[in-house]
Amino acid sequence: MTMRRMCALLLVVCLAGTPRLAAAVFPDAYKPTPVQPAGTPQRYEFDLTPALERAQREHKRLYVYLGASDCPYCRRYEAFLERHADELVPHFAKDYLVADLRSNLSVTAERLYFRIGDKSLPYADFMRSIGDERARLLVYPSVWLFDGKGKPLMQMPAGTGTFETVPEQLEILRLQQ
Amino acid sequence: MPTSDRRRFLGRLAACAGAPAAAWAAPGGLPSAQHDASSPEWERLIEHLFPGRRLVQGQSVVQVAAPLRAAYGASVPVKVTSMLPQQPQLHVRKVYIVVDKNPSPLAAVLDLTTEVGQADFETRLRVDEYSHVRVVSELSNGELHTDSRYVKTSGGCSAPPNRDALHLIGKTVLKVSGEWHMGQPVQADVTVVHPNDSGFELNQVTVMYIPPHFVRSIRVSYARRLVFDAELDFSVSENPMLRFHFVPRERGELRAEVTDSKDSQFVGTLALG
Repeated sequence: MTMRRMCALLLVVCLAGTPRLAAAVFPDAYKPTPVQPAGTPQRYEFDLTPALERAQREHKRLYVYLGASDCPYCRRYEAFLERHADELVPHFAKDYLVADLRSNLSVTAERLYFRIGDKSLPYADFMRSIGDERARLLVYPSVWLFDGKGKPLMQMPAGTGTFETVPEQLEILRLQQ
Repeated sequence: MPTSDRRRFLGRLAACAGAPAAAWAAPGGLPSAQHDASSPEWERLIEHLFPGRRLVQGQSVVQVAAPLRAAYGASVPVKVTSMLPQQPQLHVRKVYIVVDKNPSPLAAVLDLTTEVGQADFETRLRVDEYSHVRVVSELSNGELHTDSRYVKTSGGCSAPPNRDALHLIGKTVLKVSGEWHMGQPVQADVTVVHPNDSGFELNQVTVMYIPPHFVRSIRVSYARRLVFDAELDFSVSENPMLRFHFVPRERGELRAEVTDSKDSQFVGTLALG
């Protein structure tokens, strides 16, 4: 068994033992736009086109959040956002629209698709197409920052563990590298 | 590494085994730190590596570049740029690369000759938690110059390595970038297919720690003249890669001799001209 398969299997095993949690949601205070997947259950295809078009119209950037309904680390990040909404919402609102992509941990990289316009790509191909170094491993939660044309604004880290303090979240919003 | 540090590291590793990579927070990580700040680990390392010597902090002689946040802690790109031309009268003779908070902080020590032409290096490092990444350049006149960057990441030493190509372990590939001219520094890179196991990673099937197995040294020569000799550690990412320069003065063979921690030896060559 290859390491990759072993990791995928173990992830599933680990997740099977994870208690069922409340559904993934970016806190309402940030006025997120929920994006539901199409093509389920075979594939989870998230169409980013409407969110990008809106961002372009409103001259905003897009904060794309991929959360999973059964992911404790997603809950942790969402709880952090909720707790600090007073401090963070003005900064989000000034420059960003939030797209809240709702998945679950059983959706592996092979089943996760992103669509922009008439082009739909599986996770790894999509990541490679935008020059994102996270192509190798899908991690929940994940965040992408795009301009209205779908151009990534910054290489983001896997997960959200490095921006779960207010100053660090602001670093991300300010595109500090 | 002191036993207590090792135990602490192993405990943390065990705690996150089986969790997705995003699970690994940054224990002890400061939300912000100045790029040029010191750390207790660094102070201890200075006493060990450079006792009684003065280190000049700044970017006038050497610079290190690393992202504030890398995509993965297991593979943080690090670039060392030397401001000093590699001349016989004054040159960089040694480069130290350090990750303060890693279980084994000294990631690489490179012994250079003037054959490198330009003492710039790139590699990818494992960064276990929020930490400074530092470079120290030792000049031929004995001066020590240092620069550092604060890097935010977590879980680097325990992220799952790629084991899809075990039969290729030791394959050593040399590449030269772009056109090259005699007497001018040429950029090249050497990559060794190797898991670079740290010894801190749990095999999720056997629940045993995978024994350490990493590339210990890479010695690069051109036309039988030594370019550099690198001592490495498991803080270097899997499939260790070094990007470097060398000056071809005649047609010849670029050669990399690799030794790993099991004393296996591998060789890669590339003929130029």
